[in-house]
This record gives sequence, C-alpha cells and structure tokens, in this order.
Amino acid sequence: MDDERLISKKEVLELMGISYGQLYRWKRKGLIPESWFVRRSTYTGQETFFPRDKILERITRIKEMKDDHPLDDLAELITTRVNAQLRVALKKLERVGWLDDELLRTCSPDEVPDEAVSIWQAFLLGTLSRLRKTAREEEIDLVQRTLKPQQELGLLERVSENGVQLYLMRKRIASGGISAQISLVALTERDAVFDPEIEVVETVDLGTILQRIKLDLARDGDAAEAESPTESTSGANEEEQ
Amino acid sequence: MSEERRSVSISGSGSLGGGEYTRVSISGSGRVNGDLTAEELKISGSGKVAGRAEVGKIVVSGSGSFADGLAAEEMRVSGSAKVEGTVDAKELKCSGSFRAGGDVTAEYAKISGSLRVRGDVEADIFKASGGFEIEGLLSADKVEINLGGRCSAREIGGEQLRVERGTSLGGAIFEGIVKMLTGGGTAELRTAQIEGDDIHLESTIADVVRGKRVVIGPGCQIGTVEYTETLKVHEDAEVGEEKRT
Repeated sequence: MDDERLISKKEVLELMGISYGQLYRWKRKGLIPESWFVRRSTYTGQETFFPRDKILERITRIKEMKDDHPLDDLAELITTRVNAQLRVALKKLERVGWLDDELLRTCSPDEVPDEAVSIWQAFLLGTLSRLRKTAREEEIDLVQRTLKPQQELGLLERVSENGVQLYLMRKRIASGGISAQISLVALTERDAVFDPEIEVVETVDLGTILQRIKLDLARDGDAAEAESPTESTSGANEEEQ
Repeated sequence: MSEERRSVSISGSGSLGGGEYTRVSISGSGRVNGDLTAEELKISGSGKVAGRAEVGKIVVSGSGSFADGLAAEEMRVSGSAKVEGTVDAKELKCSGSFRAGGDVTAEYAKISGSLRVRGDVEADIFKASGGFEIEGLLSADKVEINLGGRCSAREIGGEQLRVERGTSLGGAIFEGIVKMLTGGGTAELRTAQIEGDDIHLESTIADVVRGKRVVIGPGCQIGTVEYTETLKVHEDAEVGEEKRT
C-alpha cells in the first residue's frame, strides 16, 4: 500500500462534495472497508488518509446508487462483505452487456444452471470474458483452473478488500533448435515484477470486475423488476390508460 | 431429532444446556451452559450465558453476563451487564452499567449510567448520559452526550454531535447514582479527535475538532479547530488554533 497514492479525508470530502456524517455512515454500513482508513500523524495531529483511486471510485459509485437503494443493500452490492450466496438469474447476467454471450453459454455449461448463478460464477465469467480476445483456449482453461480452487480460499473477499491482479503471461524457451512457449497465470495482491523474458499478455484487475458485476446486476435488478410485459425500450413514452 | 422449542424458567439456582428456546427466564441465579438461541431472555437476579447469545429480546434487571458476544433485536439492562465479545443489538437501552469486550453495534443506543467498551461503538443514534469509556471509535449519525461523569473515546465521528454538561432530567439524584457507578470524577469528555457536520461541545478536551458548523462551548480545551462554515467559541473555552478550510 505504501506506493499507492493517498488522499486525505478532508480532500475526499471536498472533492466529492460529501460530509463527515456521510463518510462515517458509509463506513458503519460497511461500504468503505476499514482497511482503507490509513492513519497518519501530521503536524495537526492524527489525520486519516485513503488510497486515492479506490476511495474516489467507491464514493462515486455510492453516490450514483444511494438514491435507488437502501444503504444496507448497497453494502451487499458494492463491497467487502461479498455475499457469495447471492444468486442472480442468468437472464440478468446476459443483459450485463460486457459479458461474453458465447462464453456464458458454452464456457462451463454444467456449472451454469438455467435459472441462477452465484456471484462467484458471474465473477468467473466476467474475468474470462475479459481475457477472451487475447487469450488462447488453453489459456482460458488455465485461468479457470487457477481461479477455481481459490473460491474456497476466500478469493472474493480478498478481491474486494485489497484488490487482486490476475496476470496472464507467456514465455518463450528456446534451446538446441527447439523452441517452445509456455503460458503462465499468476494472482497477486500487490504489484508484481516478472523477468524480462516474460511477456505479459493481459493484466486483469479482478476488483474492477467484481465491482462491475455487482453494480451492473444491481442496476439491472431494478430494471428487471420494473419490467413490463411490453419490454419497452429506453425513452418509451408512458401511456396512461 | 427435531427438538421442540421450549420455555425454561430457573428460579432459585440452576443451570441449563445451550440450545434453542422460546423463553428463558432466570430469577435467582442461573447459567446457560453453551450457546443460546431464544426469542426472549429475562434475567432478574444473576444470570450467565456461557456461550454466544442470539436472542430477540434480552431484559436484564440485576446482573447478566455473556461469555461470547450477543446479538439481539432489543436489549434492556437495568442493573449491570457484561459481555465478552461483540454486541449487536438493534435497540440497546441501558440504565446502570454496561461493559463490552468487543465492538458494540446498534441502531439506537441509549445509555444512562456507565458504559465501558474495548472496541468501537457504532450506532445510528447514540445517546449517553452518565459516564463512558470507549477505547475505539464512537460513530453515529447523531451523538448526544449529556456529561454526567468522565467520558472518553479515542475518536468521535458522525453527523450531528452534541455534548452538553449534564443538567437534564433526573437532576441531582441521577447524577449521584452516576457518580456512584462511575467512581465520580469531573464531568468532561476527553478524546483525540472529533469530526462531524454539526458539532456542539461543552466541557470537552480534544486535540482536534473538524466540522462544518462548530460551536465550542464553555469548559472546552481544544488544540485545533478546523471548520468549513461557521465557528463560535465561548469565552470560557480555550482553543489553540482556529483554521477555516
């Protein structure tokens, strides 16, 4: 965390136009993880700092969503207490535009039951979707095999608490006229450095994926509930009958 | 295996095993040997839960002790309660003494008497009259403290924070009781830092106060006040530095 840029609490309030009351409330509701509060001594006494990018993004999200969702629900949706039990209709998932349709259908059909998938499965699909353009099929499989055992080990919690990066890499090995390329996958909580012969094919910020899924599903949840028989398009005129 | 929920009442002296109950009532001296799940727990006299308690409504009049945290919709204590571990109660009302070894979370907390918490106290509304010692952060949308003894918290944060010298209802008798419970001492609040939107302080000793609209009333000693909109300082208050930010 040391190399992360920090921002003081005062600056956060100013920049985002929020109050102390809101910030403390959001913290209480678990919308902002305790671990983001970094206490530092300054010449005026104790001051609190935050990882700049994370806190600004998080507060922007909270502000966007707080009018449509009760705060207590937001916590479930946005953050830290990852609710692995949360199941979402696959249909909803399909409406989350950036997920790869084909992947949704073909990736692991045995694990995607018709009606519902867990947030974990959505997360897995989201991550694979991100890689699909650059990664080869066997690499997709390798990523899957890397991620899956991590579910039980609390990967989602770690992703939302500290952020986790996924690296897909390739390395060419040549010797004695034989040349081969191997693929590597790594998960790290902090920046990683690799040897110069490794080509990083793709870096995926898993935190962003997880957050996007939760937020998109949350938004979509509203739309789905409001769904009328005439699946109307945006900007449809309201007809009074 | 499906055990039917039962109601148990101990009067005199006795103990029961942990488990699920509808109502547990202890009058006299009783002990629950294990985790307790119940709709209601009443302790009048002395009662102890040796495990964790998850109860709809807890009423302690007398002395209650909980060995491994508790969760309740409603908890009322008149007398004394001691909890090892965390307390999670929607509504927490205590007149008398309350001690918690971990964090205390509530929607509404009203403490008149003495409160001692080793962790944080988080509530939507926190009202205290009497004395308290909170080793962690006290955070609530609304904090109302009516000083009736020594009060301290590491930090205080929220929206509306109001600290007043105890002069309200109950008056002298109440203060007497509080002094007895808290071991006397001057009625003042000590904390390192107070942050809020509307802050009104009396008899408060703090290193830093940060807020939008701040009133520093009589008896305060504040190192630095940082405010964004308004600041009023009473003539009987000491403020080291005032900064408008």
